Amino acid sequence: MSSSPAFELAGVQVNLGGRPVLDSLDLRFVAGDMVALIGPSGAGKTTLLRVLNGVIAPSRGHLKMFGQNPADLAEARRRHLRADVGFVHQDHSLVPNLRVLQNVVAGGLGHRGFWSSLRLMIRPVRADLMRAHQLLERVGIGDRMYHRTDSLSGGQQQRVALARALFQSPHALLADEPVSAVDPARARDMIALLTTLAKEEGWTLIASLHDVALAREFFPRLVALREGKVAFDGPPQDLTESAAEAIYRLDG
Amino acid sequence: MAKAPAIPPAPLTPSRRTTILFGLALVAVLSFLALGLQWGQLLPHGGGVEIAGNFFAAAVQPAFTYEGSDFLPADAPAFLLKVGLALWRTLLYAVAAISLALVLGAVFGVLASEGFWQGRRGGAAVRLAVRWFMAVLRSVHELIWALLFLAAIGLSPAAAVMAIALPYGGTLAKVFAEMLDESSPAAANALHGLGARPLQVFLFGRLPRALADIAAYAFYRFECAVRSSAVLGFFGYTTLGLYIRQSFENLHYREVWAYLYALLLLVLALEAWSSQIRRRFVA
Amino acid sequence: MNANTPGADSAADASWEHILELRRKRPRSGWIRASLWVACGLLLTAWTTTGIRMQDLFGASRMERLDRFLREDAMPRPLRDGSGSLWSWMAELWHSGAGTAMLATLLIAVLAIVLAAFLAWFFALLGARNLMSAHPFLPHATADAKSCPQTLPRIARAIRLLCVLLRGIPEYIWAFLLLAMLGSSAWPAVLALAIHNAGILGRLGSETVENLSPAPLRAMTMMGASRRVVAFTAIFPLSLGRYLLYFFYRFETCVREATVLGMLGVLSLGYEIVEARAHGRYDEMLFYVVLAMLLVLAADILSDLARRWLRRGM
Repeated sequence: MSSSPAFELAGVQVNLGGRPVLDSLDLRFVAGDMVALIGPSGAGKTTLLRVLNGVIAPSRGHLKMFGQNPADLAEARRRHLRADVGFVHQDHSLVPNLRVLQNVVAGGLGHRGFWSSLRLMIRPVRADLMRAHQLLERVGIGDRMYHRTDSLSGGQQQRVALARALFQSPHALLADEPVSAVDPARARDMIALLTTLAKEEGWTLIASLHDVALAREFFPRLVALREGKVAFDGPPQDLTESAAEAIYRLDG
Repeated sequence: MAKAPAIPPAPLTPSRRTTILFGLALVAVLSFLALGLQWGQLLPHGGGVEIAGNFFAAAVQPAFTYEGSDFLPADAPAFLLKVGLALWRTLLYAVAAISLALVLGAVFGVLASEGFWQGRRGGAAVRLAVRWFMAVLRSVHELIWALLFLAAIGLSPAAAVMAIALPYGGTLAKVFAEMLDESSPAAANALHGLGARPLQVFLFGRLPRALADIAAYAFYRFECAVRSSAVLGFFGYTTLGLYIRQSFENLHYREVWAYLYALLLLVLALEAWSSQIRRRFVA
Repeated sequence: MNANTPGADSAADASWEHILELRRKRPRSGWIRASLWVACGLLLTAWTTTGIRMQDLFGASRMERLDRFLREDAMPRPLRDGSGSLWSWMAELWHSGAGTAMLATLLIAVLAIVLAAFLAWFFALLGARNLMSAHPFLPHATADAKSCPQTLPRIARAIRLLCVLLRGIPEYIWAFLLLAMLGSSAWPAVLALAIHNAGILGRLGSETVENLSPAPLRAMTMMGASRRVVAFTAIFPLSLGRYLLYFFYRFETCVREATVLGMLGVLSLGYEIVEARAHGRYDEMLFYVVLAMLLVLAADILSDLARRWLRRGM
């Protein structure tokens, strides 16, 4: 299990607005991999994460999620694949005027039918409540369970989003700039929390980060994108200062 | 109050500003000329002078009892009770009408929204049909609906309620659909990403997000429904309009003002109520 | 989990108690709760005590009447007795006054909304709390209100109350009252629409002015510009776009209302509608209703286009 590929990309190209955002990517992430995606803004990090989540289909090439190509599957099976991947968005993507609890249990929607999901969202049963509370405790905001989500700070909302991903019981977690909106000390805490959880749960963790120092410190593998292509792929000690500078250099 | 524009206007250049203002002034002047209006007609003349004088003089002393009790039936209720009952009925007609309109607006608003059809087939055709149906419902004024109902089935409280509910339902559906589509799609996209079905995405991602706006707008339309229900009295229903008309035609202007002030108080109370609710909704 | 060990069980019970405790203490608004109860009460009362029964609409005698209405009364005359073509019937109605009435309806609405917007612009300024304070646009202006002269805020409050008065009374009632005083011309309809909409636009305008970003206005006042100068050189251009959005939105409703004000006796579509009904010519009445509908639809589309144009900013 530990070396079976979680995500495989072969010659993946994505065109958005007539322009290639990702250009013939070949990447392989195995179960338990912890990867930081780095690279300048507009390099295609968010798009890559969305491809891995199965919401953007590659224009060319193919993707395998847990050994299956979503393009070959029926929509229902594709949904189940997506349900196995947690995603923490840059803007949290929570419903601000619902309570924290409801945003957390929304993570379970992918595995439920219509009536069961109504029950889950409106009056969750004891088991779901216990689980939601336990996950919120784990991300450190257990006592906010019944607060309105938008009454929480940005960092706390990020934790709600993380708890929602945890509620999915995913095999992999994708995080898009999870710390772009918080101060450095909290950013460190958040990344530490993410990597600890990933180790404990045995997830494949792929997080895009602005902060290269943070990426070097916490992640055993770095993947750098530049203009939609892989500019670096390897352990942090192999990324020399000059190479890192080249990745972020401004000129085309 | 009215629906605040979610998408702000683009800034206007000075020359464009001049063009717009000049254009509006021009069409107004042309309308004035084409309607054959004269400034002299703005002043009351003939019998109107006396009516206007008496009417506005009565504004500062609204009636608390019947003005002139000569033709009152023996069992007439106390005047203030009559005002209160008329106001109460006006309110209840509006409540009944808006509740029906909300059902219409919710069902058709959802069907007309883009978000509901994301990830399903057949959306474009249904949306187009619903939008036109709603446009027809709301482009016939509630008083015209009332007349049509009178002509087609006669005087009935249910017809009065329907007369308000149909056009209001059309308006609510249109605005609800816009609000559903203009609200931020971030949460909906996230739910899609974690494997939720289209219906779940809509119900738990889009709908709650737009609900505060929808509630505020529905309340505003309720205030409008109260006014519409008052006016329906002019067609024989026992709401405020009926008594305003009767008192005015009997030249009992102080009574008219009592009814008008009662309506104003109700509108003010509703506005205060809705602003309190909105303050709590938008935490 | 391991449900058999008593330790795990009691730990689970403890955390369940904790969840219930959190739920009991959840922040909630008594106001919204109370409002929901009041709304339920009103709903129940409205549907049970007023004699509003929807089955009324579907009773046998009603259905019979509706059937006759649709088959005979409302059926256009040429279709009913085969006299002449439907087309010439419509053309005849159009030339015998329907066309003029439709135009008059539109013109009444146009004139009324421009008058309303002009009037409401002054209400908007005079009712805006940020402009009408002793120290305009300064954040502390409201904080130490006690020590400041209160004349301007009082004027603002009076103007806002006036706006409530104007918009609280429906157009139709304004028109009814004005018609008795001014006699029959288009003025009562124009004024009624203008008065009601001035109340609405005044309120919306005040809100727009209050929501303007205060920084540029504050800077101007600190450089010594008077309120009047700020109003005309800064507030006016800054708020015009949004004000115009409201203007076109109200224009649409003005056309809609103008179609019925004629029912009081002003020459417009409403007048033709009630006249036809009074003479039992229901087919003609329906024709005028369709014309009114088309006019409102056209205004709806026009206003939509205008607002889209304003947003796009070409």
